[in-house]
Amino acid sequence: MNTENALKAAGELLAEWTIAANTPESNRLDVVIGAENLIASVSAMLDGRWGYLAGITGLDLGVQAGQFEVLYHFCAGAAVLTLRVRTPRDHAVVPSICTVLPSAIFYERELREMLGVEVTGLTNTDHLFLPDDWREGVYPLRKDAVLDQGETRQ
Amino acid sequence: MSEKSEKFIVPIGPQHPALKEPGHFEFTVDGEVVTGASVRLGYAHRGIEKATESRNWTQNMYLLERICGICSHIHALAYCLGVEKLAGVSAPPRAQAIRSVVAELERIHSHLMWLGVAAHEAGFETLFMYSWRDRETLMDVLEALTGNRVNYSANLIGGVKFDINADQRDTILRALEFLEERTAHYMDIVTTDVVFLRRTRGIGTTSAAQAELLGLVGPTARASGVARDVRIDAPYAAYADFPVTLILHNVGDLESRFIVRINELLESYRLIRQILDHMPEGELTARVPRRIKEGETISRVEAPRGELFYFIKSNGSDTPERIKVRTPTMCNMASVPVLGIGQQLADIPMILAGIDPCFSCNDRAAVIHQGDDGDTWTWERLRQYGIDYYRGQP
Repeated sequence: MNTENALKAAGELLAEWTIAANTPESNRLDVVIGAENLIASVSAMLDGRWGYLAGITGLDLGVQAGQFEVLYHFCAGAAVLTLRVRTPRDHAVVPSICTVLPSAIFYERELREMLGVEVTGLTNTDHLFLPDDWREGVYPLRKDAVLDQGETRQ
Repeated sequence: MSEKSEKFIVPIGPQHPALKEPGHFEFTVDGEVVTGASVRLGYAHRGIEKATESRNWTQNMYLLERICGICSHIHALAYCLGVEKLAGVSAPPRAQAIRSVVAELERIHSHLMWLGVAAHEAGFETLFMYSWRDRETLMDVLEALTGNRVNYSANLIGGVKFDINADQRDTILRALEFLEERTAHYMDIVTTDVVFLRRTRGIGTTSAAQAELLGLVGPTARASGVARDVRIDAPYAAYADFPVTLILHNVGDLESRFIVRINELLESYRLIRQILDHMPEGELTARVPRRIKEGETISRVEAPRGELFYFIKSNGSDTPERIKVRTPTMCNMASVPVLGIGQQLADIPMILAGIDPCFSCNDRAAVIHQGDDGDTWTWERLRQYGIDYYRGQP
């Protein structure tokens, strides 16, 4: 399957939940969906045997925008499909996709501890990368994170 | 009996679990058989993703190259390719060819090192010593080519820093000739040595379906028959002009992973020769603006351990808005606690080594406790020391 067809197929798999879609680069398709449809969308990708989950990126869109964006990247050959889910900064929650894709657990744990996005249904919420005695409520990848001298070196 | 319900947990790490990097595993055992496992990472976390947001595009190249001490080139390459895409420029063909040559040399260095580590885990010290001795040949080549054994710093945003002249070309070819003979010998050993096969054949077997489900990448996935190689699926640098042959094996046990990686060594030798024989002529660099256009891009490359994934977001300034690095070990590590279950505890080090884990890559970012207590240096002090040292007055 060539890249164009692969992206078209992905677009069709996700059509039901798509809020907006665009093609930022010729080998990519970004699909914006609601957090409530995340698990259904991921299931559709898996059932359609479309690629594999290559990673999850958490973005802080800034205090002014008041939102986080969580990107779920799927790759198939050269094609990259990104599911984009927005969640408000003051109540950041996305559902865990581990129920349908268990290998996502490391990515979700990283997202949770680095950005402070609550991942509901996550079976293990221990720190993965940060130390056990890391200050509670400090999420290093947030744009407004205030880190102590001992915690970072700018 | 009450004893039966008691769980016995064997902690392994964080100091050097099987190999000389930090990670912590807890294996629940019933006698010698593993019944459960958990993993704790982060001991080499350095805060690099966060740090990229306060450095400019050029500084970040040097920072990201230092994510990993083994696959330094591939990190810089993934980053440079991504930034070039955002800036709308591409490196000249000769630069792309040199990038691929260095990437393959790095793969050889990494695979030979892995071969030694894995042999060491199996108690096969002779193979460990020989493969590392041979690896030195390659390290010398990298040093002759780039001036460095580890952080070769071959890339620039928009090209490469050095050319490969006729002398260097001969040096590379001579080294490959020697290594090819040695590699054939190693293939013979790992597939025929009865004692060694007892440690690898049928151990830690991963089916293709499992590999897909666990999201494995690189040689670990290819040893389970999953056809996944970014150099082939989405060619970058010079791989479109110099295609790579996919190396697959479908048994999925540790022996398969030896076979795949050793065959990949042979494929890398072939590829380097081909590139050197048909080296495109021309410039080594393209001009890239200091500020990078606003936008997002995804850059994927095949590191020695598998797909390396970079997400880069620019806000139009001279520093990135966000850089996300997903290393191959992150994908493959998830398989260790799963595959370890039902295995003999004594096989665990081999299973861990089987994915060729790289903890530095995996962990990236953490906490640096500072203080002027004599043991820990502040950044300023270290920086000043570096400056003085290079001025010749340490």
